[in-house]
Amino acid sequence: MKKLGWLLSTLLIVLLALSACTAVPQAAAPAAGGEAAGGETASGETAAPAAEGGKLAEIKAAGKIVVGTSADYAPYESIDENGNFVGFDMDLIRAIGEKLGVEVEIVDMPFDSLIAAVQQGKIDAVIAAMQATAERDQQVDFTIPYRMTKDAFVAAGDSTLVIEKPEDAAGKRIGAQTGTVQEGWIQKNLVDAGLTPADMVFSYERADQAALDVANGRIELLLMDAEPSIALAEETGLKILLITELTAEGGKSIAIPDGATDLKAELDRIIQELIDDGTVQKIQEANGLP
Amino acid sequence: MEFFQDLVTTLNFILQGLWVTIGVTIVALVVGLVFGVVTAMLRVYGNAFFQRIATVYSVIVRAVPVIVIIFILYFVIARFVNLSPFWAGSLALGFASGAYQTEIFRGAFQSVPSGQMVAARAIGMSRWQAIQSIIFPQAVRLALPGWGNEATLVLKDSTLVFVVGVPEILRRAQQVSARTLEPFVAYAAALLLYLALTLLTTQLLQWLERRYRLQM
Repeated sequence: MKKLGWLLSTLLIVLLALSACTAVPQAAAPAAGGEAAGGETASGETAAPAAEGGKLAEIKAAGKIVVGTSADYAPYESIDENGNFVGFDMDLIRAIGEKLGVEVEIVDMPFDSLIAAVQQGKIDAVIAAMQATAERDQQVDFTIPYRMTKDAFVAAGDSTLVIEKPEDAAGKRIGAQTGTVQEGWIQKNLVDAGLTPADMVFSYERADQAALDVANGRIELLLMDAEPSIALAEETGLKILLITELTAEGGKSIAIPDGATDLKAELDRIIQELIDDGTVQKIQEANGLP
Repeated sequence: MEFFQDLVTTLNFILQGLWVTIGVTIVALVVGLVFGVVTAMLRVYGNAFFQRIATVYSVIVRAVPVIVIIFILYFVIARFVNLSPFWAGSLALGFASGAYQTEIFRGAFQSVPSGQMVAARAIGMSRWQAIQSIIFPQAVRLALPGWGNEATLVLKDSTLVFVVGVPEILRRAQQVSARTLEPFVAYAAALLLYLALTLLTTQLLQWLERRYRLQM
């Protein structure tokens, strides 16, 4: 009995170690904006199929849509002193709910649980400044983006540089956060294009470290996500030279259960409508987003 | 001074999570107590079959991180049973705590000298009667110190139920930290609450220990 226990536990460990070796390594594709590409913990599960009659009918019948978010990412989503959900995403989803003609119930969850929750039908949708990365797209469906991700070129407070378009950064000592799409853009469009020598590109683990080097003059420019750059620039006395969509890839979308085609069609239509009539722009400005 | 004002405001906000934390902890401890006592009895006094089952439960559950058990209960099992996040989280925490409590009570049952069982049987008590009125009252006393330790651990493990969206103290602190960008104040408030709860639990259990100490 004792020997058997030893044998079993050793076997189990060896097996797990072997299977870990053969598993496909996760592609390190970081999200440009929003929160880090969350691990989909229960991703092995096949998604619950949308119910008969479709997810949209289900929501309309219930009279409410349950939306998950991770309320720790102002100005997109946070909770105010009185416990209300506030922010750009929250205002937007309420506007969408109004158009759908249903009530909106918001549930706060850790970012990493959101995909699993929508897969298992615990919530109907996710709005959490989430980008439709390829890995996430395998687990759930995404609506059209409701907001494009933007990048900012940041320089020292006393910098005399003028950046009118991203290519103006050519030949300057430039930094970005390691593994981000911004770093990828610099590599592809400045270094590989022969505009900036590779030894003038600097890579930082965190944006605040890069900001310090900008302030110290070690690098002239920092390319990063636009939203966090505003608070960062204010805190560290830097200035933002240009905010652009040209360097960023993709945008933020609402995640819905895999195969909920009717819901996707309806949400896509509403989002497009809200973009066209200026509502999205208005909500953006009300929440201090560039 | 401003720090203390912030702290008071923050505490006010976080206090709404206090009842959630207390509720989760109590449910988990009670569920764990039932699981723990029953499984420990099966393990010490049960036949080979029940002993095997009890051992498998205790070994496997203690080998799995609690957060995984919560995840499985809420996202896998609760697909078929309609469980609210609160109950899924509390029950999962109790199920996990039960495995640890099994070990606490197993140790306690085994610490009661075996001669007492023999003596009880000798005066005509059934096995169940002997467990009930001779062994159990002594084992509970022996288990109290270890159980008190487990109670404080469950209190702190209650932070894990946020993984399924139950907003307890720590999540409330995170929400404040995300809004005010002052993590120190937010977590200091949470720290104070946990400290108060732990001290209270410890006091209560010490009183119980003193109250029910065996007079030798």
